[in-house]
Amino acid sequence: MGMALKVRGLRASVGSMRILNGIDLDVPFGQMHALMGPNGSGKSTLCHVLCGHPDFTAEGEAWVDGREVMGLEADERARLGLVQAFQSPVAVPGVDLAELMREAAEERGIDSAEANRRIAEASRRFDMDPFLDRSINDDLSGGEKKRSEIFQISVLSPKAALLDETDSGLDIDMVRKVAAAVEEMRGPGMGVLMITHHSRILNYVEPDRVHVMMGGRIVTSGGPDLAQELEKEGYEGLRKRLGIEAPRAAASAKPSSDFFTDLPFEV
Amino acid sequence: MLSLNSDTLERLNATLPASLASRRREALREYGRLDMPNPKEENWKYVTLGFDLDHMTIPATPGDSLPEGDFLAALTNRAGSAVMVDGRLIGVENHSEAWLGSATEAWEAYPPSDLLTPDTDKFAAAALAFSSDGISLRIPRNRAVDAPFVIDVQSTLPDTVTFPSLDIRAEENSEATVVVLFRSPDGMASVMVPNLQTTVGYGARLSVTTVGIMGTEGVTVMHHRSRIGRDATFRAGEIGLGGRLARIDLRTTLEGAGGSVEVVGLYFGEMEQVLDYRLVVNHVGRSTSSDVFLKGAVEDQAQSIFTGLLRIEEDAVGTSAFETNRNLVLSDGAKANSVPNLEILCNDIICGHGSSVGPLETEPMYYLMSRGLSRERAERVLVRGFFEEAIDRLPLDDLDEPARQAVNRRFAEAQEGGRV
Repeated sequence: MGMALKVRGLRASVGSMRILNGIDLDVPFGQMHALMGPNGSGKSTLCHVLCGHPDFTAEGEAWVDGREVMGLEADERARLGLVQAFQSPVAVPGVDLAELMREAAEERGIDSAEANRRIAEASRRFDMDPFLDRSINDDLSGGEKKRSEIFQISVLSPKAALLDETDSGLDIDMVRKVAAAVEEMRGPGMGVLMITHHSRILNYVEPDRVHVMMGGRIVTSGGPDLAQELEKEGYEGLRKRLGIEAPRAAASAKPSSDFFTDLPFEV
Repeated sequence: MLSLNSDTLERLNATLPASLASRRREALREYGRLDMPNPKEENWKYVTLGFDLDHMTIPATPGDSLPEGDFLAALTNRAGSAVMVDGRLIGVENHSEAWLGSATEAWEAYPPSDLLTPDTDKFAAAALAFSSDGISLRIPRNRAVDAPFVIDVQSTLPDTVTFPSLDIRAEENSEATVVVLFRSPDGMASVMVPNLQTTVGYGARLSVTTVGIMGTEGVTVMHHRSRIGRDATFRAGEIGLGGRLARIDLRTTLEGAGGSVEVVGLYFGEMEQVLDYRLVVNHVGRSTSSDVFLKGAVEDQAQSIFTGLLRIEEDAVGTSAFETNRNLVLSDGAKANSVPNLEILCNDIICGHGSSVGPLETEPMYYLMSRGLSRERAERVLVRGFFEEAIDRLPLDDLDEPARQAVNRRFAEAQEGGRV
């Protein structure tokens, strides 16, 4: 089976703070993997580092469908098929959503008729019509931003999709829609890494694998049962079971929120 | 060719009523008294003129008029038009109930406005002394004219200075839209000193958009004075693209209670252009409101200047006044100066100002690139988005598309030239 996303020994830091301490991960085509972990464990950072955010220094290797992506610019990685749905996407006033999707299609050499067809189809699925000619993420509620992000994934249909807490802030109907879309996208042409805090969405979509991240490492991986075990024992229980010390440094600095969202810039 | 002296003035005066001739002589005295402005004066800071009016000449006869261009082409539906070439009114067309024509002809029925005073600066004095002809537009009371009036002001002769004068008056409860274009051919050095005066009467609604598209060596030093009456609404649009130096000195006085003014503008300075905006909004009447909103970009060695003063007089209770100026600095050698000011002599008001100067933001750039847009494409999309907010708010929709095309083209050229 080909790997949509393969990661080896990925380390990353922002300034002098080390956030990722060596990540190994394989997401084969056709599979959906869930990545869970407490706040501050480095989940969002993993997405940003894989996608080429300029603020991180990274070492290690990552491949999308066998193509090395580390060291490439963010746009090259996206065109090779690595796209993330952001947890807290930035507003881009004056640039409307449909325009962005058409520009993205044009950059990939997709003709405008096909681009418009994809936009219309994804828009129907996620009820995005009222948002197509509005500025990207400008004056949108948290849930609307998540819809906009999954809509974009649906239009761009990448080889490796990173969904960063796309399920949080959504009402139950929309969680179902997102789950259905993920289920549908999970074809032979795509692998999905879904980052989630809650196992709620996992009631609607069954992951092939569940990985748990703590202190910038994947500490354990397993089948769908792992999510249910976590639900019962919590991260604290898992930590005890695995004999991991409570994190200090990066993770404990901001125990009550996701580390990335507390960085001094907006994401 | 006529020099800026008393011989020229008397020659011009020969065709005018005596009452106006004395005003010109007074302006000439001011002209003689005042020095050319220099960058040491606060109001001319950052501006190097590089010429002296004393050494310039006024064309005796107009040259050939210029080809149409994108902005005029977009203005297909018109209530009327006037074309002024090298200071002379050469054509008028009017399909409306308004009066549009030569200010000289209208002088008896409509005495010219005196909102600009000759002691303002040497350019104002020169404009008041030497304007050879002017355009007058009067919208009669209770009349609404839907389509825009288009006034095309051209400079076509090298090394000349012209003093176009435009006097626009919207009478009580009238409504009209005006576009004024300032044009000259690329590569030709000339100076235009427009004197634009607008009076908006009781309950009237007037919008005036100026489109500065002078050629690469053209200079405009414009004074725009406006006076807003009770419950009147004035909207000023400013599109600033052309010229080696383009200066707009705009002063609006909200005289009557309940009057409002909105100034919306966009500018994009390329290469060595200097775009200079000096705006003053003076709130005199009660419950008056103003909103100044300008967005601009500079690339290469270009420079922009925005100084905006909101002045709230003692009796202007219940006033609201806002001012925003956002600047994109796209090259290391480019510079944007933005100085918003408030002068508040009254308590019961709402007032706010915001100003920013900086490059394209990195987070939106990363966001667009994370969708697969190349850096160059992402920059183009962001620059387009930056101006969109100002374009949206321009008083006349007909100008949206040519304005959008012009800024997009300008940025694309800067990218191709490796200047940004």
